[in-house]
Amino acid sequence: MRSAAPDRQPPIRMAKGVVLVVDDEAPIRDILSFYLKRAGYQVLTAGHGLEALDEMSRSRPDLIISDLRMPEMPGDELCKRVKSDPATRDVYFIILSAMDGTASRIGGLSLGADDMIPKPFHAQEVLAKVESTFRLIAMQKEIKRQNKELTAFQERVREEMELAAALQMGLLPKLPGEAPCVRYTHRYLPAAGIGGDIYAVVPLPEGNTAMMIADVSGHGVTAALISAMVKTSFENQVRLGGEPLAWAHGMNEDLCRSTLAEQFATAWLGRLDPATNHLRYVVAGHCAPLRIVGGAKGGLQRSEVLRGKGFMLGLDPQLPFVEHDAEFLPGDRLVLYTDGLVEVERGDRTMLEEAGLRRICAELPAGAEEAADSVIAQARAFNQPAVFVDDVTLVVLDRKP
Amino acid sequence: MLNIQTRQEGTASVVSIQGKVNFEVTAQLRDVIRETVATAQPKLLVINLEGVSFIDSSGLGLLVAARNSVDKSGGKLHLCCLPAPVKKTFDQTNLTNYFSIFATEQDALRGT
Repeated sequence: MRSAAPDRQPPIRMAKGVVLVVDDEAPIRDILSFYLKRAGYQVLTAGHGLEALDEMSRSRPDLIISDLRMPEMPGDELCKRVKSDPATRDVYFIILSAMDGTASRIGGLSLGADDMIPKPFHAQEVLAKVESTFRLIAMQKEIKRQNKELTAFQERVREEMELAAALQMGLLPKLPGEAPCVRYTHRYLPAAGIGGDIYAVVPLPEGNTAMMIADVSGHGVTAALISAMVKTSFENQVRLGGEPLAWAHGMNEDLCRSTLAEQFATAWLGRLDPATNHLRYVVAGHCAPLRIVGGAKGGLQRSEVLRGKGFMLGLDPQLPFVEHDAEFLPGDRLVLYTDGLVEVERGDRTMLEEAGLRRICAELPAGAEEAADSVIAQARAFNQPAVFVDDVTLVVLDRKP
Repeated sequence: MLNIQTRQEGTASVVSIQGKVNFEVTAQLRDVIRETVATAQPKLLVINLEGVSFIDSSGLGLLVAARNSVDKSGGKLHLCCLPAPVKKTFDQTNLTNYFSIFATEQDALRGT
């Protein structure tokens, strides 16, 4: 079967753009129209400013070429109107002016016109200017399009970040936190909406409790992903039984296997055995937590630092760790934190540091919630006027009496 | 902004750093170290930390990565002149035992 006959009409060429020519002299309108149409532009014409505005209410030119002196509405008034209306402000405006010389040129441009062509002109000159103007218009359209794309992309990224931040919040223990012999709470303030801090409290058989706080190097999405990995690795290690020393080795191997050169985590891992009142722990490059003796009942208390030395997790699978041991009695309080809490540099170049946190912890309220609020408020007050710049995590964990 | 200077001492390259080494500036420092290692291919890379007032975990990570990359190319990384706050961070993370650390730049260059 024969296919349908091809369309005999010549293909309609898309106009290169729409130009509105405004001049009260018909010959000038005709000459410009002729040249512009021949060059592939769609041309609209008007005899003066009012007619031009009327024309613009029906169609939208990309470029206006307008004479200055015209009846009804002169070119400068037309230019002012076009440039002051947000709907037409972006339409290119070229003034055709009989007055030559720099003074009138500046005068025309100060009206808000984009360019000027002195009269008398060669049609070719006008055409060249129109061509270059349309190249400019095309560029601006492209920039606008890219801007729009970029804005849409940013919006998408922002939404995804919000979702990621919500998911990350979900990785933290639900509050109020409760395990067989402890009650705890946390304050989590990520620097960039999403952060690299993580902690976990896992109940173990026989009333034991496993605890972990970690701070992944860097910020943002990468750090957040690794923090999720750290948590999973910790839970896996804890499930295997054993002591914090074995957990540290296992987590170190996990992280060395799955992270890049500059990514690692500082961590503190502990296991509380209520039968012996002892806490076994490993410090893996992390800030040493504070044990506040009898801290759960609030008031003036003595604190001690659960010190220890150890490498960060994820540096090298061969590195050794050391397990330490501390007493942790009923009614004692443990304060776990990440360095963002104590390493804010103030105007006077001092930081709160461990010593400052100990001063704050020397007298705290009884409940873990109240104590956590008090620590954050006092740290903020110390840091004034600086704000927290790194991820901040604070965990207050009270051993039940 | 971090102030970083590099110079050659025979077959050794010396990188001196002044300022706060944190997340915002690690990219800048990483480029300098990478370029120094790639162009000079030093047998010994000395990083002088005398002017460093503070180093955070991203900065530490960068130094660890630098050590590993120098190790791989058969060279050595020596750190020197750690100010007290930096020394404290290194102690806390046990990195004092991970790096070869020297009191002065001369010692670091001699490697003794």
